[in-house]
Amino acid sequence: MACGILMPLGGAVAADARRLDIVFVNPGKTGEVYWDMVAQTMQAAGRKLDAHVEVLTSERNYRTMQELGLGVLARPDKPDFLILSNEESAAVPVLEAAEAAGVKTLLLSNTLIGEDAVRLGPPRQKLKTWLGDITTDLQTAGARMANALISVARAEKWQSPDGKIHILGIGGDEITPASIARNAGLKLAVDAAPDVVVDRMLFANWTQSEAEQVTTNYLSWASRKEIRPAGIWAGNDPMALGALRAVTAAGLMPGRNIEVVGLNWSEDALREIRAGRLLLTDGGHFLLGGWSIVLLRDYADGCDFAAVSPRVEVKTSAITRDNLASVGDLIKTRGFDRIDFSRFRAKAGRCGQYDFSVNALISSLARPDGLGD
Amino acid sequence: MTGPDRDVQAAPPRLRSVVRAMIWATVPVLLLVQLLASAGVEASSFWSQIRQLDARIARTAESRGELIAEPLWKMRYDQVTSVLNEIMHDETIAAAAVYDDTGVAIARVVARPSVQAVAEISRPINYSNGNITVQAGRIAIAYSYATVYADTGSRLLLLLVVGLLATFATMVAMRISANIFIGKPLAAIMSAIQRSKQDGRAYPADIGSSNEFGQLARAFNAMQDTTSGALDRLGHMAAHDPLTGLPNRRSLSERLADLSGAAGSPDSLIAFCFIDLDDFKGINDTFGHDAGDKLLVHISERLREAIEPQDWVARLGGDEFVVIRPEVSNEATAQAFARQLLDAISEPIRLHDKQVVPRASIGLAVRRAGDPELSHLPALADIALYHAKSKAPGTVAVLDEALQRDYRRRRDLELAIPTGFAEGQFEVWYQSLVDLESHAVAGLEALIRWRHPEHGLIGPGEFLPLIERSGNNARLTRYVLTDACRALQRLAAAGKPQIRIAINLPPSELADHSLAAELRATCLRFGVAASMLELEITEGSLINNIASASETLHRLRRLGATIALDDFGTGYSSLAHLRRFPLDKVKIDKAFISEIPDSAEDKAIVGIIASLAGTLGLTLVAEGIERPEQAQAMREMGVRFGQGYLYQRPQPLEAVLQWLEGQRGSDSRVDSPSIAPEFAA
Repeated sequence: MACGILMPLGGAVAADARRLDIVFVNPGKTGEVYWDMVAQTMQAAGRKLDAHVEVLTSERNYRTMQELGLGVLARPDKPDFLILSNEESAAVPVLEAAEAAGVKTLLLSNTLIGEDAVRLGPPRQKLKTWLGDITTDLQTAGARMANALISVARAEKWQSPDGKIHILGIGGDEITPASIARNAGLKLAVDAAPDVVVDRMLFANWTQSEAEQVTTNYLSWASRKEIRPAGIWAGNDPMALGALRAVTAAGLMPGRNIEVVGLNWSEDALREIRAGRLLLTDGGHFLLGGWSIVLLRDYADGCDFAAVSPRVEVKTSAITRDNLASVGDLIKTRGFDRIDFSRFRAKAGRCGQYDFSVNALISSLARPDGLGD
Repeated sequence: MTGPDRDVQAAPPRLRSVVRAMIWATVPVLLLVQLLASAGVEASSFWSQIRQLDARIARTAESRGELIAEPLWKMRYDQVTSVLNEIMHDETIAAAAVYDDTGVAIARVVARPSVQAVAEISRPINYSNGNITVQAGRIAIAYSYATVYADTGSRLLLLLVVGLLATFATMVAMRISANIFIGKPLAAIMSAIQRSKQDGRAYPADIGSSNEFGQLARAFNAMQDTTSGALDRLGHMAAHDPLTGLPNRRSLSERLADLSGAAGSPDSLIAFCFIDLDDFKGINDTFGHDAGDKLLVHISERLREAIEPQDWVARLGGDEFVVIRPEVSNEATAQAFARQLLDAISEPIRLHDKQVVPRASIGLAVRRAGDPELSHLPALADIALYHAKSKAPGTVAVLDEALQRDYRRRRDLELAIPTGFAEGQFEVWYQSLVDLESHAVAGLEALIRWRHPEHGLIGPGEFLPLIERSGNNARLTRYVLTDACRALQRLAAAGKPQIRIAINLPPSELADHSLAAELRATCLRFGVAASMLELEITEGSLINNIASASETLHRLRRLGATIALDDFGTGYSSLAHLRRFPLDKVKIDKAFISEIPDSAEDKAIVGIIASLAGTLGLTLVAEGIERPEQAQAMREMGVRFGQGYLYQRPQPLEAVLQWLEGQRGSDSRVDSPSIAPEFAA
């Protein structure tokens, strides 16, 4: 269990503000980069915004996740807020239990979908304590990644004998909203490009090894079909790295005669970008952890984000060789305390209006060698 | 009779049991049908299993294809392999492979190299999601029918074993049931038939069942009853006279055997009465055979009534009856018993509204029960009966020594007849026929004698019946005829050609159509005229066969012979005969002559005969004239000729010729044996 470290930061919090008690049930695994970074930014923000953030890790076991959430709700000393992620729709029972327990909840990264969304409606209606959700616009991210591939392929004329640019898509899964959104972005971009065809949309369970396997299979198949693979679109960085290995093993030279894109801003991905083997990694959405604390701080201080919408959607950004230098170190060192989260709080009278862009982030960063202004 | 090897050759065809034949006829068919049916069912099952297996593998391929479609399309080849591996649990599958849309084998599993694949099935793998439907590849499964073959083989073996067991069980059941329902009843009937064959009695077959064999057995038993009754009746008929119901001749021998075997004391006397009705033929002729039968029935009833319970009465046939009394005290009581029977028979009876008094003669023989010759009783009694019939009809003749002697003599003579002919023991003697007025000899009558080497000279009265009975009448007649012709030659040579010779014709000769021809031939042979012969007949000859007798007489007469009616007055003395037949002469029987002239009645009779003969133009001869006054009386009554001892006794021809030579007066005598009676007496 990761425990938040209380690091009060002066000046950023209103004088009448009280210290918040927040619990985050992490759906990921310890060592899973994205969810680790979500928790770390959340805790970094808590330190800046006078909030105690308790992180409970469910180790990718949704049953454990539900048990942890319900355990928190059963506590005599209930927290002020409970942050959940509706991965595999496993957060719904906890969400309903929180309504009964009177604990306010925020959904992070994955919100209600399908029947649950229909049944429970929008936030704060049926479930009064469900304050809202904060998610990233992963569809735009997926489309951005695809367009980057297409641009390079067109420029390099990597068309197959049939005159088409052939791309392999590797998705994490087919059911989580986060995956569906980025896959939809791929489709959106390819549909708009008549000279591009996605040979296969393969799924590798977000893992590097499976991605490597399916990529190997694809490349073998493509060679039999006399297809010249132009690019590989991977739904996250580990799968992109797996694809890279397979590509290399197949005798191709990534960055030279094929391009691979990933998502997550992972450290390994940044290294591959630097090496010129990975075209880009989109992402930055791990910052949702910090942003969620910003929203809850404002809400607790009376500036409700629902003034604009209870649903906050944050855009992602791509890291390429061009902007690698600015954020590379932040991610490499996980020095999230360099981010001045208080600067992202809503201005008075403009509740619900936030600028969580990469440029805003870059400008908020304190220098690594000292606390930024 | 039949040698052992003949027995082997002629051994009856080996008995083929109907049960075994049924089993042989049905069991192979049953077995064949069972095996064919099993094989047919099994073949159909085999093909059905093959089809099922094909269908199952096809389903497997399709279902696996569906499962594999997504991992195949999504290039999760490890999953493809693991899904493919799962189907290898099916032991009929030898190998399976999945090919992608380029035809490359993505996954390939081989189960047991030992399993020989004989069939292969291939199905496309189609992948589809909301947007696309594509053929992602193919799945191919190779599989073996070995399990089906093995199953079929083992089931066929099982069916064969079950079929054989069922056939065997059927055979045993058939054998048992056929033995019970067919074999046993047949054996029962056969056994009854065998026993019936052994002792001739009708045994019933003991079958209680109500099926066809029960019915057969009942029918058989009914038939046995019928047969039994028929046999009883047959036995009764064989032993009894159908007309009177009395035991018959066959029963008599059994009865005699019983008497000799089971008589109380060997010294007790058995009376055997042999009864013969007198002139039963006359009754038949007069009243008809129905009346004759009725008479026989009456007689049998009277005999039944006349006897005691221990007595036994039988009808031997015709008009012969036998009555046996098993115990009599002596011969006198036996004789009294026989007379009693005669009295019973002689009660008058009505036949066709006419009163008839039946007469019978009885030969009585009395013998001890222990007599070893008891079985000869009928013959002995017959001897007595013969005596009674011939000497005193209507009486009882008791068998005694004399009768037996007579019988033995008769038997001896009868046996000696052929020798008598062969050795010329028969002699023809002649007696003269004299004109009563002139005393001249008008003719001779040929009379037969037998000079027997042991018994001496025997008169015709004794041996003629024996001649007749032995069928030698014709021979004797020819013998006499020949002798007479030779005598005529001698007479002619002796200067007496006017003397004719009369010969007696027995009744049977009148029926012989060849007589006239032979007579003529004989006359020709000796050179004598047939007109020198006279043929004497009796009325009895005429009665028996009027037409034939008349024919023969006419023929003889056409030859020139004359016909004389002998012994007139004692028999029928029919006036019609005198008129109807071609007669020349009538000889008055000596019975009417002997009392003349003392008997006025006889004189009257002779007078009437004489006047009748005169009217009819017949010549009269008086026989048996012994005294001169008789000759005188005859002359006075108009009788022309006479014959008798007064003139000449019968003599051999030589003596007669001598006598004729020396004859000068009517009183002359020639010595001759005084043997009476004369011919046809």
